[in-house]
Amino acid sequence: MYNGVIGLPVRIRLVDGSREWVIEDASGLEAGEALRRVGLLSEEYIIVRNGEVITPNEKLRDGDEIVLYPVVSGG
Amino acid sequence: MVNCSICGRPAVYVNRISGKAYCKKHFLEYFDKKVRRTIRKYKMFGKKEHIIVAVSGGKDSLSLLHYLHHLAERVPGWKITALLIDEGIKGYREETIKDFKRVAEQLGVEYRIAGFKEYFGHTLDEIVLMGREKKLPYQPCSYCGVFRRYLLNRVARELGGTVLATAHNLDDIVQTYVMNIINNSWDKIIRLGPVSGVSSHPKFIRRVKPFYEILEKETTLYSILNNLYPKFVECPYAPFNIRWTIRRMINELEEKYPGTKYSLLRSLLSIIEYLKKIPELSKGEVKTCMICGEPSAHEICRACIYRIELGILKPPKEVIPILENLGVRIPSGTVDQTE
Ligand SMILES: [Zn+2]
Ligand SMILES: [Zn+2]
Repeated sequence: MYNGVIGLPVRIRLVDGSREWVIEDASGLEAGEALRRVGLLSEEYIIVRNGEVITPNEKLRDGDEIVLYPVVSGG
Repeated sequence: MVNCSICGRPAVYVNRISGKAYCKKHFLEYFDKKVRRTIRKYKMFGKKEHIIVAVSGGKDSLSLLHYLHHLAERVPGWKITALLIDEGIKGYREETIKDFKRVAEQLGVEYRIAGFKEYFGHTLDEIVLMGREKKLPYQPCSYCGVFRRYLLNRVARELGGTVLATAHNLDDIVQTYVMNIINNSWDKIIRLGPVSGVSSHPKFIRRVKPFYEILEKETTLYSILNNLYPKFVECPYAPFNIRWTIRRMINELEEKYPGTKYSLLRSLLSIIEYLKKIPELSKGEVKTCMICGEPSAHEICRACIYRIELGILKPPKEVIPILENLGVRIPSGTVDQTE
């Protein structure tokens, strides 16, 4: 099983590049939990890891690159 | 790893009410079933329709266009035309038009872009400046909303449309519902149903909301999976208003208590039925604007009133008393003296 690159932090950014977060010790944390740590609601984002959409219950791995697509923008 | 409840592949979505997880393929199937059920339940379309899809260029309306285009391929009596209203907002509209054209051309769907400039002689940017010069008490979004609604109906009709589909989703609807409760606007709540304008006026195109029961999270995921998610450009006039706070609160509630949004929607549907029984709220018969001939709540429509107040439309002499009655500010020198 792939466990990510040991020791590397998880990077999270908004799809338009306007904001970015780095989370240390995120391995094993659920994606939704990681969002909550940086003050975001998983209800308000679609989470994409390395090009694949994942659910908020998915566990993060060291070195994951997460891109968030906001759900809340105009019609 | 979260796996699809149906096939076991990696999940892209979990329906938190049923607890079911879906992979990409099964999410798209779930989405399709849900929208088709909504369309059937509220009798949105008949066997023969020319559906005009109102597209803003945002993810929800691009998703609606994509969805209805593919659905129409399976229904022989349906024709789809996309309609985008170009308000004329510099630095914003050009970008969204690009995304719109890309999607419309990829799908091979006919489209029409109708501009404020084309129909009213001025862009929204110009209208906002004129309004400020004349010290009119309106926000940019008031002009925009009124002129957009006016053009959607008028151009949909000109295109030969039988029904106008808009991309309002469950989240939009329940946010508006809560805002209107706070504002005590029951006359607006009664109009928040999934279908409006049934047999109310010969010039009024029936309006339907196929995403009425679809979460914004679901329309967003649909747009991403179908490569429709547009580059986000914020409208420079977008107000920071109470809607943002209400949205956040409802989303917090939904995270803690999955199903809150559906409960709010059921509450709205019930209250609409109760409100329909109140004569003062339901009698509002649709009139015909004496100036432009479009359907209107009053003798003169809101779009004509704004144009008169902005000084870009000369009111005919005979309607002056009506305008004065409605409290319209008529700029001096714009009254049409010709008989
Ligand atoms: Zn599956
Ligand atoms: Zn009018």
